Amino acid sequence: MRKLRNFLSALALTALAAGPAVAAAAAPPPANVPVPYPHRVVTLVTHSSPGAGSDVFLRELVRYLQKYIKTTFIVENDEGGSGAKALSRVAGARPDGSMMYAATPTYILTSLLSKPAKTYRDLQPVVNFFTDSEVIYTRTDGPYKTLKDLIDRARASRGRWGAANPASLERQAAEQLRIAAKVNAAVVSHDGGGDLMINVLNGTLDMGVGEIEEIRAQLEAGKVRLLAVFNSQRIPGHPNVPTVKELGYNVVMEKFRGIAGPKGLPPEILKIWDDAALKILNDPEYKQRYLAVSLMANHIPHDKYGAFVEKFAADTSSLLKASGVIK
Amino acid sequence: MDIIYFLTIFAASIAGLVWGILGSSLPGLSASIVMALLLPFTYTLPPMPAIVMLACCYIGAEYGGSIPAILIRTPGTNSAAATVIDGYEMNRQGRANEALGISLWSGVLGGLCGLAMLVMFTEPLARLALLFRPTTYFGLGILGLSVIASLSGKSLLKGATAAVLGLMIATIGTDPISGVSRFTFGSPDLLEGITPLFVMVGLFAVTELMTRTGVPSASIKPGASIRVRLPRWPMMKKISRAQGIGCTVGSLEGLMPGAGGSVAAFIAYNEARRWSKEPEKFGKGSEEGVAAPEAANNAVASTALIPLLSFGIPGSNSAAVLLGGLLIHGLLPGPRLFETNSDVVTGIYIGSFIADISQIVIGTLILPVCIWLVNRPRPYLAAFIYALIVSGTYTVHQSSFDVGIVMTAGLLGYFMRYFGFPFLPAVLGVILGGLIESNYRRSLVLSGGDFGIFFEDPIAIAFFAIAALIVVGALVNEARAAMRARAAWSA
Repeated sequence: MRKLRNFLSALALTALAAGPAVAAAAAPPPANVPVPYPHRVVTLVTHSSPGAGSDVFLRELVRYLQKYIKTTFIVENDEGGSGAKALSRVAGARPDGSMMYAATPTYILTSLLSKPAKTYRDLQPVVNFFTDSEVIYTRTDGPYKTLKDLIDRARASRGRWGAANPASLERQAAEQLRIAAKVNAAVVSHDGGGDLMINVLNGTLDMGVGEIEEIRAQLEAGKVRLLAVFNSQRIPGHPNVPTVKELGYNVVMEKFRGIAGPKGLPPEILKIWDDAALKILNDPEYKQRYLAVSLMANHIPHDKYGAFVEKFAADTSSLLKASGVIK
Repeated sequence: MDIIYFLTIFAASIAGLVWGILGSSLPGLSASIVMALLLPFTYTLPPMPAIVMLACCYIGAEYGGSIPAILIRTPGTNSAAATVIDGYEMNRQGRANEALGISLWSGVLGGLCGLAMLVMFTEPLARLALLFRPTTYFGLGILGLSVIASLSGKSLLKGATAAVLGLMIATIGTDPISGVSRFTFGSPDLLEGITPLFVMVGLFAVTELMTRTGVPSASIKPGASIRVRLPRWPMMKKISRAQGIGCTVGSLEGLMPGAGGSVAAFIAYNEARRWSKEPEKFGKGSEEGVAAPEAANNAVASTALIPLLSFGIPGSNSAAVLLGGLLIHGLLPGPRLFETNSDVVTGIYIGSFIADISQIVIGTLILPVCIWLVNRPRPYLAAFIYALIVSGTYTVHQSSFDVGIVMTAGLLGYFMRYFGFPFLPAVLGVILGGLIESNYRRSLVLSGGDFGIFFEDPIAIAFFAIAALIVVGALVNEARAAMRARAAWSA
């Protein structure tokens, strides 16, 4: 039965692929007709708890994805083991597109920091949607107006820099900046973004590194100021904030958000996701929402995504080794 | 006021409260887990009722944790651990209905007190919250640890040994500063460390079950009446000082992100004992010993919202879930929330008030059922509690590994009890270990290894001073008792 259904949907897909070519000549393409999908229900698994980063990403995504893929999406939170549980659940699922995973650097970090039953290598990266905006911020009534002020201070005496978690990309970025600028700064890791924010606001720290979403409330209230971003280009909504790279320090951090699945997904499933991702990123309504939270669209199709993830893992691994976190 | 607006708040608040009380009275489900389970159900609601429901769930959960603490010696939430001491003792004396009444009444007072602070002093308290630095948290942790001196029971040495054991358990997991994995043996389940609540459930509940299985049931006193007894006037007066201490400690602790209700409850318990007229009754079924921690942890549930609403900084794990709820509904907590979404803020105030008051009604409805349940024949009860513990623990992450932790802690507790080691110091060690270690090391990283940093922070110095007083006081008491014993011997 399943085979028959797969066959029929494959047939439908081919028809669909050929369809637009014919239709395009005749009439303007109809406004988004959802692409049929071989499963009535698709489970999207995340390791994050309800309300946390990946969970919010998936739930927002699903709301618009249903316009482009004809199926019902369910978001399930498989917490525990720093993502290892979600990882092994998805890696063991049937590779037919009925279960996918919200991939973020966490699943690579967990694979590198411990020995989970399944690692990031047991999943197939499907398509990337976004890069998060990672920023350097300081308190508005503090002495630092630019990144240069901050670096000068660290050069003259000793800097106090903060990152949310010890095994995080933010900490790696701060350490890399310290090395690139050849300055003396203590990089202090915290118990999460809130803890870090208090210490930036009360002047214990010169600056903090974090996702822009975590500091938005203080940013809009004018309590903190952005000094620079670690992304490869300037971020939406803040065109005046320079990148760390253009200020002369070769440090770039691309915290990605995408979808991965079990190994051996059929090519037609991969294609549906590739296309849907491209369409949804251009959906005007969705675009407005994700630009408002400073997410940068970064569409990486499946044929390039694997190499991207592999490179990301290799880079992270060498950074973790350099800072003594793993051997 | 708009009647629909009010009815919405009312419905949301009662629903959240009931779920909070019921959820957190299951062993193993902490307040934050109970809220996280509710969160998906609020997705489809409009923002205001959704947030009110979550906030009231928090209130209910902070209260509900005391029910199993008193009835089956299992703290339903972290912050009910201090309630176990005298609450369960009262239960053993056949006064469970009285203990539950006191905990309910103290919870209501604590909640109202915290709410009053939240409504009236958000601004100044938010500024106060900004004064807390890593050194301050280290001071708080030391203050918390000093309580061990008076929780140790007969032997200070055994108490200290148990505390060290707890601190050792707290070192498992990712190193809070360097990120190196410690004692995880490559297992991803241990990366986030051992959840204090699981250790508590194991130590208290599983140990109790194992011990009780070895006691003939004929020797057990008949259970209490199932009618909850709310305190009458003389009792109200008697416990009012303890409640006052609980409210003060809880309201202040709520402001300290990361410290949470458990530390507040223990410090309140200890202070209530120091200022009590009958400190010798503590640990032997003191009403004040139930009142103080319950007032404290319910006050935390309200004041923890201050750093959350004013900075978007969650004061506890539960507040973090509430933050998630706000974000999902597109509300950005922070200084501007009070202007842009004043309906949500007002809703939280009104809803919390309704929840605090309705606790009395809902409590008196639910509690008789709970008391009736634990008065069933022992073999059935033991099996039932086991099932409750295992399923409750399993629900948190659908992980049998967590169940294993609870059972291991239970086995450990059995031997600790056999050799006369007290549990509470170990529990405090597990709760405070992370707080103390990470803030100690964080402070030293900040100062470049200079210990002077601890003496530049006036709040931290105050904490150290109180801690020193507590420890010296306990030592003096112990010495005095020894001398008196010797005098009695020679006389």
